[in-house]
Amino acid sequence: MYICVMANSKLYKGSLVTIILKLLNESDKMYGYEITQKVKALTKGKLKITEGALYPALHKLEAEGVLEVEVKKVDNRLRKYYKLTEKGNQETVSKLQELQEYIKTMQVLVNPKFSLE
Amino acid sequence: MVRSGKEHIQFIENYLEYSDIFYADIRMEMTDHASSEIQQLMESNNLEFYEIFKSYMVNTKATLIENNKQFIKGADKSILKRLWVELIKLPTLLVFCAVLFLSYNWLLSIEVEALKGVISLFPILSIVPFCTVYVLALNFYKIPRFSGVERLGVMYLMCFQLFNFLSSFMGLYIQSKSNFFIVAIIMAIIGTLCLLIIKITLQIINQYRNEYKLMTS
Repeated sequence: MYICVMANSKLYKGSLVTIILKLLNESDKMYGYEITQKVKALTKGKLKITEGALYPALHKLEAEGVLEVEVKKVDNRLRKYYKLTEKGNQETVSKLQELQEYIKTMQVLVNPKFSLE
Repeated sequence: MVRSGKEHIQFIENYLEYSDIFYADIRMEMTDHASSEIQQLMESNNLEFYEIFKSYMVNTKATLIENNKQFIKGADKSILKRLWVELIKLPTLLVFCAVLFLSYNWLLSIEVEALKGVISLFPILSIVPFCTVYVLALNFYKIPRFSGVERLGVMYLMCFQLFNFLSSFMGLYIQSKSNFFIVAIIMAIIGTLCLLIIKITLQIINQYRNEYKLMTS
């Protein structure tokens, strides 16, 4: 579940996996807290991902073989990094395409004048 | 930059452990998340560790415990999914056929009276191989309490119940001496499942040893 400021959380719920995959696609590897902070920074605090939403999603992707993990010692503690597998790279492309299609369709429905097609 | 000291991290870890987050892999990630958040709050608010820690835990402890439950459910699902994937592979069918062949030939050569006594012990006897592998592997590798490894117990328990159920059927057929082929099929199911569980147990233990080298070395 998200804590969203200035935004309806229900609209974002279905996009969590896509957000995670996109962020991991842009960097070599990331850890959980880093993902929450990156989303917060990119959306200027409009969207905040809670640990209650993020970690189950990350673990599910890991179990599906979309992500692989690496544990490193950082600042006196162990940190679990996530990175995309080959399957994860393909999944990212497909998820982003799906999202673009969704945005296009919504654009046509909500604002036909400014639709992309 | 304010850094969470070793004792602060240990404090968080102990707190989580006493809050029933006892699996090392789950706790490690939660400890890192909480430490990172607390460190960031210490920097931005210029407050002491314990003040931040207290307010952080008041706000998020319930979420962390819920996360723990979700993680355990996920571990169970993942193990059962792994078992299902192994079950539908072609080599599994070949193993099943081989065990079936051996069982049937063995049943043809054994005294039925002698077999009756063994049947009641069959469920217990059939879980011995994978429990032995599990205990030996844990003692040999000395790995901490990882969720995926400990939750293998759920699969063991389910298999024990299944074996119990199948053995009662097997007993009926042996008593009536009606059809040894069915008995052989049941023995082949149990034998194949035993071998698969041993395989999955070793796979999971090795996976943790590879991914969590820093915790297992």
